[in-house]
Amino acid sequence: MSTDTLPPASASGFDRHRLRDLATGSVTSIAVTLIAVILVGLFWIGPNFLSASNVTIIGSFVAVPMLIAAFAGFALLAGVVDLSIGSMAGVSSVTTAALMGMGWPLWAAALGALAASLVFGAVNATAVVIFGADTIAATLGMLVALRGVAYIIAGPGGSLAAFDTDFYSFTSLTVGPLPVLFVISLALIVIATLIVTRTRLGRHVQAVGGDDRAASRAGISVTRVRFGALLLSALGAGIGGVLYVGQLGSASNLTGTGLEFQVYAAMMIGGYSILRGGVGNPLGAALGLLVVAGTSNILDVQAISPYFTNIIVGLLLLAAVLLDRLRGGDAYE
Amino acid sequence: MSDVATSAPTSSAGRGSLGASLPAGSGTAIVLLGAWLLLIVVSGLHRGDFLSHQTLLAVTFTMAVTGVLAVAQALVGISGGILDLSQPTSLILSAAVVSHYLEAGMPVPVAVLLGIAVGAAWGLFNAVVIVVGKLNPIIVTLGTNFIGQAVMLLVYQNAQAPISSPLTAFGQSYFLGLPNIWWPMVILVLVVGYLLPRTRYGRHAIAVGGNRFAAQARGISLKKTRYAIFTISGGIVGAAGVLFAASSGPFGPSAGSTYQLPVIAAVILAGVSLAGGRGSIWMILLSIGFLSTVPTSLVFFGFSSNWQAVFQGLVLIVAVAIDGWRAKRLQR
Amino acid sequence: MTNRTVRRAVATLATVAVAAALTGGATVPAQAFKLGMAVGGLPALDWMKAQGDVANALAKRRGWDYVELSNNNDAATAVKNADIFIQDKVDAVIEFNGQPSVNPVLAQKLGAAHIPVVTYDIAQKGFYFVGIDNQAAGIAGGKALGEIAKAKWNCQPDLVLSSEGAGAGIVNTWRTGGMRDGLKQVCPDIPADKWISFEGNGQAAVALPAARDVLAAHPDAKKILVVGLNDGGVLGAIQAAEQLGRADDIIGWGQDGSYITGNNVDPHLAGSVFYFLEGYAVYALRDVIDKIAAGNPPPMKDDAGDPASRVEPCPVSAAEAAKIPDMPERVKQLLAAPAGTTEYELFCPKKG
Repeated sequence: MSTDTLPPASASGFDRHRLRDLATGSVTSIAVTLIAVILVGLFWIGPNFLSASNVTIIGSFVAVPMLIAAFAGFALLAGVVDLSIGSMAGVSSVTTAALMGMGWPLWAAALGALAASLVFGAVNATAVVIFGADTIAATLGMLVALRGVAYIIAGPGGSLAAFDTDFYSFTSLTVGPLPVLFVISLALIVIATLIVTRTRLGRHVQAVGGDDRAASRAGISVTRVRFGALLLSALGAGIGGVLYVGQLGSASNLTGTGLEFQVYAAMMIGGYSILRGGVGNPLGAALGLLVVAGTSNILDVQAISPYFTNIIVGLLLLAAVLLDRLRGGDAYE
Repeated sequence: MSDVATSAPTSSAGRGSLGASLPAGSGTAIVLLGAWLLLIVVSGLHRGDFLSHQTLLAVTFTMAVTGVLAVAQALVGISGGILDLSQPTSLILSAAVVSHYLEAGMPVPVAVLLGIAVGAAWGLFNAVVIVVGKLNPIIVTLGTNFIGQAVMLLVYQNAQAPISSPLTAFGQSYFLGLPNIWWPMVILVLVVGYLLPRTRYGRHAIAVGGNRFAAQARGISLKKTRYAIFTISGGIVGAAGVLFAASSGPFGPSAGSTYQLPVIAAVILAGVSLAGGRGSIWMILLSIGFLSTVPTSLVFFGFSSNWQAVFQGLVLIVAVAIDGWRAKRLQR
Repeated sequence: MTNRTVRRAVATLATVAVAAALTGGATVPAQAFKLGMAVGGLPALDWMKAQGDVANALAKRRGWDYVELSNNNDAATAVKNADIFIQDKVDAVIEFNGQPSVNPVLAQKLGAAHIPVVTYDIAQKGFYFVGIDNQAAGIAGGKALGEIAKAKWNCQPDLVLSSEGAGAGIVNTWRTGGMRDGLKQVCPDIPADKWISFEGNGQAAVALPAARDVLAAHPDAKKILVVGLNDGGVLGAIQAAEQLGRADDIIGWGQDGSYITGNNVDPHLAGSVFYFLEGYAVYALRDVIDKIAAGNPPPMKDDAGDPASRVEPCPVSAAEAAKIPDMPERVKQLLAAPAGTTEYELFCPKKG
């Protein structure tokens, strides 16, 4: 970053304290929502909802999306949403499995997949940041293109077996009832939260997302921040794809399909916006993911069609943006 | 050309402002036509039999439903409604309703009107959520699409217009050597493209998209415009659903998702500003023509369907990158 | 979040947890046998839902508890569902898993919990195999199409289209590839350059535009054969030919029988291979799960070649299929039939 100065409050239109209030406000309401979900679960299912095995189930399923959200949050915050993360995770997954199939050791295959993700992320960033392409349209294009790449790499069989006993055992490890992967994701969420709220870098990202012209006037390199944010987002999706190989012992052309909506819906419920930067907090994203995962789990345990989860998530999403608007977010007229 | 240049869109910081400063319509037309001709010439040189009636049929069939959806999407974009991401749901909802009632013996004209009405009702529903909640259309339609898909998945698995129905026969036949379902698309593009800049209500929609405060100052009701545009655009999606039912076999609730990318790409390539206020409907004929030729052409070059997805995605990325670059340069 | 909010929330939570533990923890443990069923969850394929409905009806008839989850055609969801079955302490699981590459993980988890598993159609070591030999079903369909090609075109088609569905993984390789093999058995001399594959995703709506482009790229082909993953994918190619005015140049033979019954059958779909997928639960319960419930588990047979229960493929021409009821009616008749009767016995016109 080129300078220490922050954009003056008047120019940015965003007072730092107001910004923090906004974030904590949304975190509070999402926390209340999570408590409501837990209460519903306890009343409907009984104490078993919080049993060790059920907590493990929720934790394992939400771990990878949460890790991806910890990274993708920086792109949203900087005002450049990356819709391609679902296919990005898929490509990373099949690349890892394909390289392992060629005899590469796990670590090398994983590095290869992460390198590929960063290259695709750089393409996103070049189109969006350097050329000024609309982020939604450009990364939607990347979403479709990378799904094609995943099909090509997975080959006519559609999937690649990559069962590595050690890797699988690692992804199934637990600390008490919590899967190790979940603990790692949670740690990343905490680190991301600290970066966003406590460091200069985080404030720069928020400033760029809140008002890029003001940030630029204050000497922050908008280009560098956004380019970096999109690379981070791609890297997160790449790591998620690698971890899926461990969890699933394989990769398929469909790995990660729809993940972008799963993650962004939860993040929007948690206070982020895919349309404007500068708002949102990784902690809110994590709580949003837990709300969705908890709801989904209640319906799973009751053996109710997962489509009802989708309806509830859609309604929660609309409620969350309405709440954000009532709290003083952008009104559309 | 029916291109309309109004006051500069008030795109706020953050996103690249799509097509905000495209040159007048003729420039876009020349670029599109040039790209399309180049594609045809290169494919024809590669394989002479590319220039056949079969290719023409394949391309025009592809154009039909996509083109109608693009008109609906362009109307939303020009009037400042940004994007309707729920088209996949309303398209299939309309097609499924039409198929169901044809199966039950409803006369074709009634079923067709019903299909259009279903689409319009869906659009109105979106508009109510957007206007009453004062919420951004992209997020609202993202949410309603997700909910709509889930509800349809709970209600039905498969629908199909009866193959003995006159609608199915219509969908497979030609007029003047081109598919029947292609002509309604062309007529729609021409009529909407003519009316939009030339009627009072059309100009209101453009004004609202361009600068809503200025439009409001002139006494144009934002709410009424939103309701009207989303309902009309929904009705057009409903019409696309009718054409889809006429020309597809059995289809499930998620069959509409494949249209999302080509439709958005077509609208952007046509120079419609998603920031509102700018764009020519007529240009859609060129952008849809170009984009619908790409997959056929790729098959002639021997690329698999997977590569087609890669190419389609890249075309969109390159298109919006060029669009963004032009907008950036003009801002300087 | 303020500290007060947190404290209040934690307090509420603790109270509720204690209350729930006192009331809910005292429920009487269920003694009934509990069957878990993971359906495939691909919405476009309506037999996937019917598979669960039949299993549910048969389980209820036996007085069992029945838990159905949808794999959503997603590997991560299939793993999560296995965890839920284990937590739910089901006594046996039926898996229809469209993402079979994750099966080793499912086997690891369910095996560790000592829950016996029946797998439909896709073999996995340690799972009772119930179902069809997909490759044999493919070959049977390919041979039937080959006989038509031989009689009509002297085994000299201009084009053989394969409507692939790579999302179905190995099942696609078996079925679509099997159909090609069966066709080659009857017509061994079709040149390699006549075979063209395209991705149809097992859905007519996806296969149609893809096949349209492929047909346009072969404008001179007058004798066209179509094979594919299922009826939907094959049908898409046929409809593409119809749109291009080449309806009488194309003959297709499908798999799974989805679109060969009822009053909407395309005249150019010459036949299909039924497995009566919706009625698989009859086999699974009769030959495996009833015995497990009786405390008498059958010997493990996890190989498609030597299955725990074999479903016979039933190739039928369009004319024969006209006498077979559509799926909802078949389910009704199946559930009305004496226990253990299969749909093959009820509906297949020429039994092996």
